[in-house]
Amino acid sequence: MRSWRWDVNNYSVIGKRVPKLDALDKATGRAQYGHDLNLPGMLVGKILYANVPHARILNIDISRAEKVRGVKAVITGEHNPVHKFGYGADNTPLKADKVRSRRDEVAAVAAMDDDAANEALALIRVEYAELPPLYSAEAALAAGAPLVHEERANNLFLRYNYAHGDAERAFDDADEIVEEEYFLPYVTHAAMETSFALAVFDLQNRLTMWSTTQIPFLLQRDLSEALGMPGRDIRIIQPTIGGAFGRGLDVYPFEPICALLAKHSGKPVRLAFTRDEEFFATATRQPAHVKMRTGVKRDGTLWARDASVLLDAGAYISWGAVTPLVMMETTASLYRVPHAKFVADVVYSNNPPTGAMRGYGNPQSTFFVETQMDMLAEKLGMDPVEFRLKNANIPNSETPQGLKITSCGLRECITEVAERIGWERRSSVSSNQLSVVSNQSSVSSNQSPVSNPQSPIRRGIGIACTLNVGGGARIYRSDGCGATVKVDDFGRVTLISGSTEIGQGSETALAQIVAEVLGVRVDDVTVINSDTSVKPWDVGTHASRTTFIAGNAAWIAANQVREKILDHAAQMLNVSPNHLEMRDGMVRVQGDAAGKGIAYDKVVRAMHYREDGNVVSGTGWYDPPTKLVDKDTYKGNISAAYGFGAQAVEIEVDTETGQVRVLKIVAAHDVGRAINPMYVEGQIEGGAQMGVGYALSEELQVREGRILNPSLLDYRMPTALDMPPIESVIIETADPEGPFGAKGVGEMGGNPTAAAIANALYNAVGIRMNQLPMTGERVLRALKEKERMENGD
Amino acid sequence: MQQLYISLTVNGDVHELNIEPRRTLMEILREDLELHGTHEGCGSGDCGACTVLLDNEPVPSCLVLAADADGRQVVTVEGLVQNGEPHAVQKAIVTHGGTQCGYCTPGIVISSVALLNENPHPNELEAREAIAGNLCRCTGYQKIVDAIVAVGRE
Amino acid sequence: MKPFTFFSPRTLAEASRILADHNGNGRALAGGTDLLIRMKRGQWTPRAVVSLNRIAGLNEIALNGELKLGARVTLNQLIRSPIIREYFPVLAATARNMAGVQVRTLATVGGNLCNASPSADMSPPLMALNARAVIVGAAGERVVSLDEFFVGPGKSVLQSDEILRELIVPYNSRAARASYKKLEHRAAMDIAMVGVSVAVEFQKAEFGNRNCADARIVLGAVAPTPLRAKRAEEILRGNILNKENIAHAARVAAEEARPIDDVRSSAWYRREMVEALTRRQLMEIRDLRLEIGD
Repeated sequence: MRSWRWDVNNYSVIGKRVPKLDALDKATGRAQYGHDLNLPGMLVGKILYANVPHARILNIDISRAEKVRGVKAVITGEHNPVHKFGYGADNTPLKADKVRSRRDEVAAVAAMDDDAANEALALIRVEYAELPPLYSAEAALAAGAPLVHEERANNLFLRYNYAHGDAERAFDDADEIVEEEYFLPYVTHAAMETSFALAVFDLQNRLTMWSTTQIPFLLQRDLSEALGMPGRDIRIIQPTIGGAFGRGLDVYPFEPICALLAKHSGKPVRLAFTRDEEFFATATRQPAHVKMRTGVKRDGTLWARDASVLLDAGAYISWGAVTPLVMMETTASLYRVPHAKFVADVVYSNNPPTGAMRGYGNPQSTFFVETQMDMLAEKLGMDPVEFRLKNANIPNSETPQGLKITSCGLRECITEVAERIGWERRSSVSSNQLSVVSNQSSVSSNQSPVSNPQSPIRRGIGIACTLNVGGGARIYRSDGCGATVKVDDFGRVTLISGSTEIGQGSETALAQIVAEVLGVRVDDVTVINSDTSVKPWDVGTHASRTTFIAGNAAWIAANQVREKILDHAAQMLNVSPNHLEMRDGMVRVQGDAAGKGIAYDKVVRAMHYREDGNVVSGTGWYDPPTKLVDKDTYKGNISAAYGFGAQAVEIEVDTETGQVRVLKIVAAHDVGRAINPMYVEGQIEGGAQMGVGYALSEELQVREGRILNPSLLDYRMPTALDMPPIESVIIETADPEGPFGAKGVGEMGGNPTAAAIANALYNAVGIRMNQLPMTGERVLRALKEKERMENGD
Repeated sequence: MQQLYISLTVNGDVHELNIEPRRTLMEILREDLELHGTHEGCGSGDCGACTVLLDNEPVPSCLVLAADADGRQVVTVEGLVQNGEPHAVQKAIVTHGGTQCGYCTPGIVISSVALLNENPHPNELEAREAIAGNLCRCTGYQKIVDAIVAVGRE
Repeated sequence: MKPFTFFSPRTLAEASRILADHNGNGRALAGGTDLLIRMKRGQWTPRAVVSLNRIAGLNEIALNGELKLGARVTLNQLIRSPIIREYFPVLAATARNMAGVQVRTLATVGGNLCNASPSADMSPPLMALNARAVIVGAAGERVVSLDEFFVGPGKSVLQSDEILRELIVPYNSRAARASYKKLEHRAAMDIAMVGVSVAVEFQKAEFGNRNCADARIVLGAVAPTPLRAKRAEEILRGNILNKENIAHAARVAAEEARPIDDVRSSAWYRREMVEALTRRQLMEIRDLRLEIGD
């Protein structure tokens, strides 16, 4: 059914910078978020956390809490349904027997106001018998370590073991080898809207939950497991969601807790995280301890790679445990490498539970892969750009891992950013400070300008690349999405999409796809996508999949509508439907813009108002031609298309304070086709911002299982003054499988940034940072260490 | 418990309210006046999502006691729409792609309006300084800055 | 927040009386940007909150031989004030690097000092400028040098009935070139890991003599209170401001610091940064002086 009847150069809405459908509501304060909802009789739900890292629960006394005026329900693990939930099937809403992290939920209350809820929480008495805690993956794997989950034989949840070629032997044939060890920190989504749930049961015991989830249908299933009730009795509604970034990829205890409170109180219960709760009680990105070596041939051919990764998953396992699948992809397939080995251990500890976060393993693996690429280039005496170009993937190839690369603009991305950053200045930038003329405004107000030959400021330029799934990712058995398109009598087109909008703008891209197919304005398209009782099934918004997967589903549904309208218009005009087109709101003979035609809504009315009339609608289902990776070898084509990108950065280092400032980012990404360039850039730029934070300032400091900096003051995401101007470059390669050639872009903007900054830092001052974030203190220590080594101390 | 009678002028309307002293301006705006455009991001002045104009100056409304705002003028993001016409900043944020999840947007709009009231033609650095107290997790700020500078050039 | 009684007196005397009546259970409210956060967290649970908002004269900035800086002057007021910009530019620059615009609308000079946070940005430059605090209480008025104002983290000499009315800052040649540098993780919205303020007065220029008559070096966030690096000052006093003396003074200032490890920084880094920021600012003062040739 796929036929390219659209002239690439003649799109009316594809490729246009159309504002998001909800932009005006958001800019004027009209958008309604979960936090804005209010139901009659609604109660406040609050959770009591253990605040001990590992302990047996001896007794929980809720008797005093229950007596607080205004308290309507107090629940503990005794109220749990029997089933465990989560990716590891290891979690319960409230903990009944033991707690495994400080943030473990032990009791919850629903009350008429915050005061009553807080008072009740303070009156709950829990007696614990403390157990020895495990504060790192290394400790958890040590012989004789206490078990986090006693039903398991040890604390290793899962080992990933991937190989192609023969890496062990191949290193013997490598001409140059680099080997390094990396320490990657806890970081967290820190979406501007905190996590939210509002639950209400009707008198037939059916649950409605308003949620900030990214996976409404899987949440329906997961809640059914967690609550022990039929999924068909659960309805999930997603209000406007204030960012998620992977936070909403699993069911987390607060959601079933909210439902249990609603059930036990018989009232609607609202559970909204406070900001500090958002920091300590949402699942973070896993900290990782990585060892990797890479070997190369003298002519610059990448030859062998061997990585081992230790991930501290914390007390419970979420979908975040699957991130090694993505890490191995970057390790084994970002470049052509004939021999590769990758091992990852996912380990339980008594640290806070971790989860999925934008990039899903890729920012981590891109950091270690791309910094080693620069080290290898240096050993070979090759230019890092040339070295990357030599080993870059090419279109229409298959990697040893089984990734079928169709469209691929990696080389174009590399060339483009190198040119735009002024790569040829790279050697002079770092050696001669005075020759540098910056063409962008200096944004720092508290640093000396580079005007003094004694200046401690050094500059550097760096580059890094990325590969990311761009055509869905089959991590569940289905990677499908449904869509329905209908047209009413007045020409209002409605797309009912299974997909989820979390702020990224995908619903606008979907509206553009439908508008292009039907030849209507984007303004004529409404998107309904927020209610599981209305929308068709979808696995959720993750893996940069929505524009690609939901876009294809919408494309299919819209085409059915188009064909129906054309068929009927053909009868009305007495021509063959093959000669008709829909454009500018009209159905008319192709290429005959001035000729006779009929307004499309008139055709729709004619289809409704007649004997044997019919509804003008279409239904699409798209599940990409991919497969689950083999469960033993981890090989297979997980995605129907792959996105590529390169970023180049220019930075400044203050050698007296160690502080790094990014002056400019140039980001070129192969997105197949930009359905809406404005929001493609938005994804790239927002990703780069997370990348700058990952590189320089963001770290959730976890000590003895406790989060020390649970605030937006001390968890330092970049402000507008920390971010440099970003130049986004869109590379279009017209993917054969993507809707209008589009590929996903949601994650890759944040993948290469930290590596590019680390490479620029090396260019500036000759130090290699293997630990993130590269704070002033760490950089200064490294500079002093380098000085010491050079002085031969 | 002490109750205070206060008078607040919000978006041009006078509101006489009977409040507990501990309530913040943000709570009054969101809960009593149902002006949900003022968002709570942290409750401690670290994110700027709840920024409103108080006597024409931007403030984090989560750190203002409503009692202390007695008799003063408040403008929220809703109040910038005049006779159905959004403010130039609101339009620019829309057309430049300066909002994604939108949770920070009302605060950013208010900070930008405050800047432009004082400095009608800001450059990029001035725009960045003006919104440095508004955290955004989605956009990388570039398109927001572009929008503010563009308004100044109109 | 726990409930409290709100007072909005018209005079300082009345405010002081209300605080005295509450016998340590009252808190004065200026900008509220520290107080409300601590109250929301439950760290402070005052029974009375006394707003200073309606008391006339507390937000005055006047220069009459000496600078009179009302305690309720906000950071944005400092940034905009022509007097401050021209004669005490370090105060405007310091304010500009604090928090974000919206917090600066509320936050006050007095509040920043009275909370007595070791990392408060206003303390080092005002101490470097030799400011005095004018304090009003039930027993009347007293004047305390800022050098003596801070007692420990979160503690100043203010008694529970006392309110800071204003600061008196002497004006002299060093005010114009005093500086403050703050090391932070972000370019905005951050607390100082280290803050160093430096003010230098030169001897009268005779026979090309450019010796330093007096220097004040004040360190923030590296001790329980803002700290004068007195030994470092002594190294400069009466001596020529050259590279060697500057390096020596900076090194000694770092020795004088008593930093701790915390979530924002390690003690090691703080000490290193005291040296770097002290040296850098003294060098800038020296370079500026060579440029303008005074």
